[in-house]
Amino acid sequence: MSAVPPLSRRRFGVLTGGSLLASGMRAQAAEPNTFVSGFGLPANLDPHQVFDVPMQALMLNAYDNLYRYEGDPPRIVPWLAQSHSVSADGLTWEFNLRPGIRFHDGSEMTADDAVYSFRRMLALAMAPAAAFLPILKPDKVTAPGKLTVRFELNSVYAPFFAAIPCVSIVNPRQIRANEKNGDWGRTWLASNTAASGAYRIDPASYRPLEQLDLEIFDGHFMGWKDNTRPVSKIANRPTQETSTRILALLNGSLDCTDTNLPADQVDRINASKIAYVQKDVVMRTFIIRMNNTRPPFDNLNARRCFAHAFDYMGFINDILDGYATRDPYPMPNTLWGCPKDAKGYDFDMAKARTYMAKAMAEGAPMKRPIEFHVQSENEQCVQSAQLFQSNLAEIGVNLKIVGDIWSNLTRLARKPETTPDMWVHWVSTYFVDPENWVGQMYDSRFHGTWKASSYYTNAKVDALLRRARGTISQDARAPLYEAAIRQIMQDCPDIWIYNSMQLQGLNRRVKGRRFCTVGQGQEIRWITLAT
Amino acid sequence: MLRFVLRRCGLALPSLFGLLVITFLMIRLVPSDPAAAMAGDDATPQQIALLRHQYGFDRPIWEQFGVYLGKIARFDLGESAFSHRPIALDIAQRLPATLELIVVSLLLSVGIGVPLGVFAALRYNQGADYLLRIVSVLGVAVAAFWLAIMLQLLFSMQLGWLPLRGELAEATAPPARVTGSILLDSVIDGRWDALVDALRHLVLPAVTLAFGSLASIVRFTRAGVLETLQNDFVFYERAMGYRRSRLIWLYVLRNSVTATVTQIGLLFGSLIAGGVVVEAIFDWPGIGSYTVQAILTGDRQVMLAVTLLIGAIYAAVNIVTDVVHGLIDPRLLDRP
Repeated sequence: MSAVPPLSRRRFGVLTGGSLLASGMRAQAAEPNTFVSGFGLPANLDPHQVFDVPMQALMLNAYDNLYRYEGDPPRIVPWLAQSHSVSADGLTWEFNLRPGIRFHDGSEMTADDAVYSFRRMLALAMAPAAAFLPILKPDKVTAPGKLTVRFELNSVYAPFFAAIPCVSIVNPRQIRANEKNGDWGRTWLASNTAASGAYRIDPASYRPLEQLDLEIFDGHFMGWKDNTRPVSKIANRPTQETSTRILALLNGSLDCTDTNLPADQVDRINASKIAYVQKDVVMRTFIIRMNNTRPPFDNLNARRCFAHAFDYMGFINDILDGYATRDPYPMPNTLWGCPKDAKGYDFDMAKARTYMAKAMAEGAPMKRPIEFHVQSENEQCVQSAQLFQSNLAEIGVNLKIVGDIWSNLTRLARKPETTPDMWVHWVSTYFVDPENWVGQMYDSRFHGTWKASSYYTNAKVDALLRRARGTISQDARAPLYEAAIRQIMQDCPDIWIYNSMQLQGLNRRVKGRRFCTVGQGQEIRWITLAT
Repeated sequence: MLRFVLRRCGLALPSLFGLLVITFLMIRLVPSDPAAAMAGDDATPQQIALLRHQYGFDRPIWEQFGVYLGKIARFDLGESAFSHRPIALDIAQRLPATLELIVVSLLLSVGIGVPLGVFAALRYNQGADYLLRIVSVLGVAVAAFWLAIMLQLLFSMQLGWLPLRGELAEATAPPARVTGSILLDSVIDGRWDALVDALRHLVLPAVTLAFGSLASIVRFTRAGVLETLQNDFVFYERAMGYRRSRLIWLYVLRNSVTATVTQIGLLFGSLIAGGVVVEAIFDWPGIGSYTVQAILTGDRQVMLAVTLLIGAIYAAVNIVTDVVHGLIDPRLLDRP
């Protein structure tokens, strides 16, 4: 494991030089109706292989799904399907497609295409399949009518409907023509397109992670009445370095950046005539994980000691310049099912000392060096660790910061013996349901996944979460989640810090943008570029 | 000459095989799980186990090596666990841009560095020599990322003379792809507008990358020329009334650049490494960022392929360096 690298000398360079020269910056002419996006690209173009925030952004523009999240707060709305129904026992779901939907190749979309899409997603068994594999068998996705798709679940799974937008509907005719050795067209679709979305991918322009162009699809089933001057081309040109990203925004060669702009750049960008920073509260929680199976974290008083020793508001106000909302719950406090009256842990070194003494009296090895793993390339993770290290030093706890990479951390988190003492990460919105956070993080059946890496076990919580998962009505589920969360907060398996505010640089010519936390506001169909 | 080149190629092959074995074994020590990388963040242990079996990551290491060797023999570099695309395709898209950047940087370094080195030697311990020595030290000391940002701020943001990033403007249609190098393809396609635009985009990254190597070449050339100037043949030819410029640029330089040529060969390797930072800052679509991404995601197949590729390029550059040495001093061609 490497030591923590020095912080951001590149950014130091741009800050010092930038403040000298920013006043004289010159604009670079932008293409009139081309939206140049600096938002990241997914690892490849197949929505059944990759499922992360960059893929969500691509899916929103290039692909369609049966239902989709729109608006802020997010609402799940009919999209390819115009309606759905669920049987009384919650096991059979039917979705009715709109008639006359066309793929980019001109062929008509039918229920068979939706069936193929779900079966392909299940067969590939990659990231988007995680929510469906335990409850859906491929042969239980059928098309009883030309426009009707039926799902028969193994067991009741209330978040099923919330997870439906995770699956893009693909064109089987294009994929089958490019299959090799029964690979479901996996290699081909990684660099190509078989879609129906508002924008059409130009495969010739594609360079993984670096470049992708999309052209407007005039025949999109939603039509373009709600935006008479839409963007005609999306040129995805993500930048690798923060400094270049900010300069490109300021000289007008980017219409938008990613959503992780450094907080200390907000004022400077807002002062420019070309760009500004859009701030949106998203459902993305920042959490310090504790390995509950390993001493001293197997001791409740020890965990509470650590929870009281983190300077929450200092981190939010001083390091993030206030661009985050304190969220003491194990899921976004803006989501239903969150017990708003429950009191979270505050920064209180006196309480931390008290709990530490209790823990030590119970034999917890509080003086042993604690390893805190961080993603070295992520400044905010490193800063949170450094702040925590300094707080804990006051009570004599030796926190050792260990640099790491995401892929290794998720690998380590697969077993309690290899999971670090502590590590830190975000949980983004993959689907808008408590299951995305509290369900997958604290039900012991998810042990072995990075989301459940605290290895917390409480039979009462398991029972509550499983009942919530097996109950269809949201009104009936909400109190179950509230009860589970209260118990989890009492047991203090992790340290819940904040819910994010995303900071995205936008060119001032960008008008009509609509924000939704799913996809982080990257649906371009609503945008107009002012001349 | 042909025998010399074939002999050098023959010696490179076992080196490359050794590199393949060592890299294959070392990459197994990298703490990453290719199956987990392929499955994605949300994957369950069952999904990961399924992929591990599908791709043979659960087989014995010697068996995996045998399969890999067979693929390499068929020029199949495998598939990226991260992008799920053929690695050869990804590399083919990126390598020309990296080579273009390195070759132009090297041409700049040599084209400017060698004359400056000669000039510094001829002005030994005079003002110009001191100035060039300071510049040489700066070239070695200045971090590439700092220089890159300063150049961006000055030439792109303040003066607006040169583009900030990328290899071609949005408004410029790329030339028809033949070699993958925008410069060469623009010439082949007769697209002079694209050639000019590509050259404008190349200036800042190439200058940034060239700065360090230029300093090194100046120092080596200067030292070589200073040593040669002390030789008897120089005094003799001076006494015989040879024209000074002919003496310096033909005879003295030829006898001085052996170390410089070796250094240029070594610089090629360091430029590939230094190019990672420069490519990242200027969003240059080369192999550097691809490699960094592979390391961050634990993409073993890509790490292996890129290491092998760079090893092969390095071996090729060493052969070229040996040939150039032979051309400068033909006696070397006869050595075993």
